[in-house]
Amino acid sequence: MKIIKSAFPLVIALFLTYAMNQSWGTIPPIGKIFSPFHGFWMNAESPDSGEPTEETLQIQGLHQPVQVVYDEMGVPHVFAQDDHDLYLAQGYLTAKDRLWQMEFQTHFAGGRISEIVGEKGIASDQFQRRMGSVYGAEKSFEGMQQDPAAKMALEAYSAGVNAYIGSLSDRQLPLEYKLLNYRPEPWTPIKSALFLKNMSFVLASGTDDLKMTNILRKYGREVAEDLFPNYPFQESPIIPVGSPVDFKPVPIPAAPADFTGLGSSMSTPEKDPNIGSNNWAVSGNKTVSGLPILANDPHLTLSLPSIWYQMQLVAPGVNVYGSTMPGTPNVIIGFNKNVAWGVTNVGSDVLDWYQVKFKDASKQEYWHDGKWKKTSMRIETFKIKGKKDMVDTIFFTHHGPVVYLSHEKPFRSNIPVGHALRWIAHEKSQELTTFYQLNRAKNYEDYKKALTFYSAPAQNFVFASNEGDIALWVNGKFPLKSKLQGKYLLDGTDAAADWQGFIPQAHNPHVLNPVRGFVSSANQFSTDPSYPYYMGWQYAPSERGRRINERLAVMEKITMDSLRGLQNDNFNIRARELLPLLFAQVKSPTAAQSKALAALKSWNLVNSPESVGATIFENWVSTLQNCVWDDEFSADEKVPMSRPSMDRTIQMIKSEPTARWWDDTKTPAKESMSDIIMKSLQANVDTLVKQHGPQGPEWAWYKHKQTGVRHLIPGMDALSRLNIPIGGGGTIVNASTTKTGPSWRLVVELSKEGKPKAYGVYPGGQSGNPGSSHYDDLIDTWAKGELKPLLYLESPDQKSNRLRKKITLSK
Amino acid sequence: MKHLIYSIILVVIGALVGIYLPWYAMGLAFGLIAFVLNMPLKSSFLTGFLAGFVLWVVSALWLDLQHPSPLPGRMAQVFPLKGNVFALFVLTGVLGGLFSGIWTWAGARLRQK
Repeated sequence: MKIIKSAFPLVIALFLTYAMNQSWGTIPPIGKIFSPFHGFWMNAESPDSGEPTEETLQIQGLHQPVQVVYDEMGVPHVFAQDDHDLYLAQGYLTAKDRLWQMEFQTHFAGGRISEIVGEKGIASDQFQRRMGSVYGAEKSFEGMQQDPAAKMALEAYSAGVNAYIGSLSDRQLPLEYKLLNYRPEPWTPIKSALFLKNMSFVLASGTDDLKMTNILRKYGREVAEDLFPNYPFQESPIIPVGSPVDFKPVPIPAAPADFTGLGSSMSTPEKDPNIGSNNWAVSGNKTVSGLPILANDPHLTLSLPSIWYQMQLVAPGVNVYGSTMPGTPNVIIGFNKNVAWGVTNVGSDVLDWYQVKFKDASKQEYWHDGKWKKTSMRIETFKIKGKKDMVDTIFFTHHGPVVYLSHEKPFRSNIPVGHALRWIAHEKSQELTTFYQLNRAKNYEDYKKALTFYSAPAQNFVFASNEGDIALWVNGKFPLKSKLQGKYLLDGTDAAADWQGFIPQAHNPHVLNPVRGFVSSANQFSTDPSYPYYMGWQYAPSERGRRINERLAVMEKITMDSLRGLQNDNFNIRARELLPLLFAQVKSPTAAQSKALAALKSWNLVNSPESVGATIFENWVSTLQNCVWDDEFSADEKVPMSRPSMDRTIQMIKSEPTARWWDDTKTPAKESMSDIIMKSLQANVDTLVKQHGPQGPEWAWYKHKQTGVRHLIPGMDALSRLNIPIGGGGTIVNASTTKTGPSWRLVVELSKEGKPKAYGVYPGGQSGNPGSSHYDDLIDTWAKGELKPLLYLESPDQKSNRLRKKITLSK
Repeated sequence: MKHLIYSIILVVIGALVGIYLPWYAMGLAFGLIAFVLNMPLKSSFLTGFLAGFVLWVVSALWLDLQHPSPLPGRMAQVFPLKGNVFALFVLTGVLGGLFSGIWTWAGARLRQK
């Protein structure tokens, strides 16, 4: 009894220790994380003192010492003596600043989030794997290994990341590991493949096939084709209209028989219409310097740590500067002595669904081309934190994985059940070779050759060289399709509905030194309908592309600064076209509506941060779309449908004022176009008053839009930057929306002497550590629309007052 | 006075253990010291609490002075303290103190037959 009594406090102490060493739901281990010897206090980093410092780090596996100098932004300039050491250093240095992000993003891509967060991650993990993310990465990894240079880069990079992981004790772990209470695992080359495949998930996984089939089933082909046309009413395609075609097209496959399918139920993530990008290059004829200038700003979900990490990589045969993606070797968007390149996404249709007919419940066989064929199976094991492993079987037809069986509930409401997925992201591919070669390209021929290795996600590769060339290739692997093949769900039993090969790479849309003196892309249609192949029916809205093209057409004596100005252009081309049409329909507005209309009439059509007109207009566009289409094309969970585009709505206002779609079928009265426009104005003003109070400065565009750069852990507002005062919008060249925006802005002017000048910025900072001043120090510069000069060094000993830390990596 | 000396011993040992061993080793060490030194049971919790509080707060302050950074402000939002860095230091001290106090008490109690 006495012993029990004296041991009682010990039991309490032991229990307390256990409790403070454990995560409880989202609460981190409270003892471990608050201990100043182990927890978050250890992650504080002093700001730059401005004084240059030097240190030496031992790294296993290096052939020769590597010199690294950091500039005041925290960008490492890496000088190695061979490629192997260069990529090993890239892996090491990237991990040093971004390890947690690299691992978290690849865990997400590989469907392994539940290993970190437990059960609540399982649906997302299963979705990732059912979509074939791991399968695709394995195939892609196979492809990467066929090129010795890419294979070496990948392996050296991986060794570098592991050298960093190996050097970390528990107390030195990045903050997020401490918050989520786990440790990094060794890096492997396949993780780089997973990361790259995830870019296809981000950029090329959108599909409306199910929604379009639902429309087809409800309204018939004529209505579907009328409201969802295959080329927009207004467009300014990437390849200038009338550009010569320098190839003989291969025959187009015959169209499969019409197929209406089962439709209904559910389908894939809707394409986020705000993820898009701008790039352009202007020829020397239009610039003050007489040499081409290139600009690029890829729009992605804005996150902290940023998706980009700047680096300069120098070794014999290469001296490249630009933005890299943590998780993969090479520079992705950048420049070297002779050339510069950038990318924007291509919205072509590279993902199709095939309705599967299984022989029986065992799903061992499926019907195709008049016979029963064998399915294959892939077993996926999920390790779930705090729970037993889960095992899942994925069935594959020759098309690809059956993402959800007919009785399953899909992760996203618009994924068709009982359909096999045919997706470009499952192809063997060699994207790394493309970037490896672009990093070393000297001229247009090198660039052209580098692009032949690229598959997905397809990109508009803009290019400029100091020989004076400007070019743009709409590049990737595109299935060779019959017209409109894959706009709707396809018949998985019909061999004619299969993908029949690919468009020859040399036939991808492209343009070199066009007469107009510039090339550009903003995710709009690649070509006008005269291009011999069918690539897709739906691309990003044309506004950004049209605005960029109308500006570049008239701009003369272009400088880097005038292009920086164009990247930050907030002019609302849609408002210029739509507002007069809307004003013409207004009848007897209320006092509040009159006030809003007055603000719109005096508005300069610029989506500046403080603009009230921009808020009223943008909100009006969305309420108008709701009022016109919600009655017939509702977002009913069970029968999801696409909604006609704003481009189609504008066309209808202009030329179909009596179309049947104007009437609100949910009311007994028959509404006219004018009635619906007034109804949308009323809804617009009412919601704004409800959200922000009476019309006034609180209606400022940036306050309404609320652009934020969010930490990768959902809901981690404390490590995010919210309510950033920035203008723009989804259809504005400065494409900053609530969650997406220009994730990296680059402007490069080439030079004959091999001394390119460049400016750039991204909304984040070089360090992934929330305890560093470099965590988010570029955000304010970015929001103001300014760029930082990029330091392009010739040697590690070059003098510059911008250099800070010097590290020698030695073996 | 004796309590103060005990606390100082604990702080010194706690710092050494903290630098070289996992975070919870501090508790075990305090328990052991209280047991070996046969600390008075009545004041044991307070002695331990004081040592743990001071050690964690001073260490955190020292780290913050060495590496002034936005981190404490951010952590004071990750943990719902409305960005109040002072509260973050106090919470650090209280957690260190509580953990140390209980272990010191447990060590002292175990010695009392």
